[in-house]
Amino acid sequence: MSKRKKWLFLLVLAVCLVLSACNFSGPSKKSSEDAGKQASTAAGDNKTLNLYFNNDIPDLNPLKATDMISFSVLGNVLEGLYRLDANHKPVPAMAKDVKISDDGLTYTFTLRDGIKWSDGSPVTAQDFVYGWLTEMDPKTADAYSFILTDYIVNGDKFNKGEVKADEVGIEAPDDQTLVVHLKQPTPYFLSLTTFAKYFPIKKDFYEKNKDQFGKGPDKLLYNGPYKLTSFNPASGVTLEKNDQYWDKDNVSVPKINIKVIKEASTALNLYNAGQLDYVQLSSEDVNQYKDNPEFGTTTNFRSYYVQFNLGDKVLANEKIRKALQYAYDPKVLEKVILNNGSKAAYGLIPPGMAGAGGKTFREMQGDLIKPDVKTAKRLWKEGVKELGETPKLSLLVSDDSVDKDTATFLQSQWKKNLGAEVSIVTKPYSGRLQAMRDNDYQMAVSAWGADYNDPMTYMDLWAAPKNAFRGNYENKAYIDLVLQAKKEKDEGKRMAALLKAEKILLKDDAVLAPLYYQGQAFMQKANVKGLVFHPWGNPWDYKYAKKQ
Amino acid sequence: MKKYVLIRLFNIVVTLFIIATLTFFLMKQLPGSPFDEEKLSALPEDVRTAIYEQYGLNDPVWKQYIKYMENLVKGDLGKSFYYKDKPVAQIISERIGPSALLGIQAIVIGTAIGLILGIVAAFRHNSFWDYTTMILAVLGVSIPNFVFAALLQYFVGLKLGVLPIAYWESYKSTVLPTLALMFGVVSVVARFMRNEMLDVLNQDYMTTALAKGLSLRAIILNHALRNALIPVITVLGPVIVSLITGSLVIESIFSIPGIGSLFVESIKVNDYSMIMGVTLLFSTLFVFVVLIIDLLYGVIDPRIRIAGNKE
Repeated sequence: MSKRKKWLFLLVLAVCLVLSACNFSGPSKKSSEDAGKQASTAAGDNKTLNLYFNNDIPDLNPLKATDMISFSVLGNVLEGLYRLDANHKPVPAMAKDVKISDDGLTYTFTLRDGIKWSDGSPVTAQDFVYGWLTEMDPKTADAYSFILTDYIVNGDKFNKGEVKADEVGIEAPDDQTLVVHLKQPTPYFLSLTTFAKYFPIKKDFYEKNKDQFGKGPDKLLYNGPYKLTSFNPASGVTLEKNDQYWDKDNVSVPKINIKVIKEASTALNLYNAGQLDYVQLSSEDVNQYKDNPEFGTTTNFRSYYVQFNLGDKVLANEKIRKALQYAYDPKVLEKVILNNGSKAAYGLIPPGMAGAGGKTFREMQGDLIKPDVKTAKRLWKEGVKELGETPKLSLLVSDDSVDKDTATFLQSQWKKNLGAEVSIVTKPYSGRLQAMRDNDYQMAVSAWGADYNDPMTYMDLWAAPKNAFRGNYENKAYIDLVLQAKKEKDEGKRMAALLKAEKILLKDDAVLAPLYYQGQAFMQKANVKGLVFHPWGNPWDYKYAKKQ
Repeated sequence: MKKYVLIRLFNIVVTLFIIATLTFFLMKQLPGSPFDEEKLSALPEDVRTAIYEQYGLNDPVWKQYIKYMENLVKGDLGKSFYYKDKPVAQIISERIGPSALLGIQAIVIGTAIGLILGIVAAFRHNSFWDYTTMILAVLGVSIPNFVFAALLQYFVGLKLGVLPIAYWESYKSTVLPTLALMFGVVSVVARFMRNEMLDVLNQDYMTTALAKGLSLRAIILNHALRNALIPVITVLGPVIVSLITGSLVIESIFSIPGIGSLFVESIKVNDYSMIMGVTLLFSTLFVFVVLIIDLLYGVIDPRIRIAGNKE
């Protein structure tokens, strides 16, 4: 009996030991975070910004990162030749100026004097060459390498292993000069150089850390306005002002705590408790706060639309497609269903995206698809007649709540205005993409986020060889316009071609039915200014932030 | 006894092998790939194939399976796709700590409170205490723990401001999530304990013990509790595993970098090696907890001869 008691005692002791071990292994393991802890307990400390991301920070290796959150962190700790200013226009950063050849194909960048990495060594043109070549290297196998290989001479061939590195169109004649040869004139090339995939990488440092590169605060070298002092993918990062940064006099916030908070209600509680300076609102909370002076909305370059599959018997009929396009009002979707800062779409290219002559593309084009129930009814009747029977339709959608609500909205509008029977097919996100690729759909709620600030990021998609994912669409006139825009040097003519292309895609051929431009509703503390959200690229920019 | 444990261990290895195999092939049936397919869909076919190639995703599934199993035997769980080549074992070891601490705290404290409530309810059968305990127990079982979590966070964290609303920064951060997880344990244990106790209290040996003039403490500890504990331990097994391996919802409400979210999210993003790693961890824990509980039966009740009941 007493022997057994002894055993039980030992067992209890063991449990206690495990318990205490866990206690230490939890928070105390990241000793660098203790500093962060003290700062956030003193969150009143009025210069520190307290922010959050709504998902993990998967990786801070600029060569591997593919998500908006990682890009956001990287854009604040590293810097490219150019940087987006508070109005999303590219301004010189690591480069002090650039000479562009008359044919628009050669860019000669001159780097600033005295730019340094956080270890004090100079940032050189070779660091850019190394960074770009490694990004394009087939061994890196980065899904984002197209953002370089599409533009730089021989980039795609190098990416496929067909040519050697020295045949790629980038060279560094000296430490401060970088020459880039482009395949075609690319008026938005300077804004491309602000993106994370165009950041410089210091060769020695990268090769020393290789697999660990970007996995911790001491596994990156910094040349941006901030540097990382702690990094845990699941709990967040701490940024501190980089003293080696060339423009440090214009960086006003000394420290930024960014936590990972996945639950919208948790973030809202923290904001109301004064522990966060910014919070994204879910649509249920918008009505409660929209009259608050701290309330605001932003949109990013992500357009939602219905992709029609022209390879389908029913949707091959243009009148049916047009009827579906005209039979609902995206404004109702914006106001009633989404209610989260998103804006109704009457075209494909999001508002704010660059056009020509100081105007945005959307301002130049205006609305393309205006809801018109009468026309929709007429077209539907004619279409049904041509088909010989009332068609049964199905709409494919990902199983997240916003997409499903959108689908239900469309279903009810099409039923009410056209009398169309549409069934909704719900699949997980990757299941939807797979079904689209496998040509197993009629219509799908789909979206595209811009890779750069130019309509080409959208128009290029439907100019690719005919494929099910893009609705089996192929129109020579459209493809020619896109190709012409790619070669055109004159900005006005280039934009004219793209404007015409969007018109063909949406209005003439009715390949897509526009839904909305994604946005966010948020609240931001009144004493915080200059918190910039770029609609594409590396979204969050803290360089211009101020806290009074 | 030793032989019994050895046989059980062998069974465990076979079980885990079957789980790993089934999970692997089922997982490969998931649509999509570990990459952002929306972006990938814009790339030319040959570029896309080249990227898959780099990660060995173009090989036939059986080949990928053999490769995975070879590495597994060597103790290599592979690298995560989502966390860009970070070793799965490293990610799991970083994440398990917070989840395990919360789980163990909730189980130890919850079981203790549950036992006491259950015993009190049984001894004061049909009294105010009994009814109160049972109402609490029914509430605890029927209301999901995230409701408790949200209420605790709002009232204790935000309104009273005495404990952190969220984050994993100091020991204080563990209090609210532990409380939220604990309610369920308390309710389950209290309900079972009360019912078993009532059963045991009606047995002849209890009357004997009372007649012998033993103290109440001795009766409860040596006779009643020991006999009533068996079913309680049986139900505790799965509860322990599910708590140690973390709760997705509680972790996300309190922004805790635990392992609970890892499992669900790895499936969402097709992070194959992570799905395998976490599944294997969960199933290993589960089979070992079951083994330990079986062994405990013998310790608690010597009438259960685990080793010799084959004749």
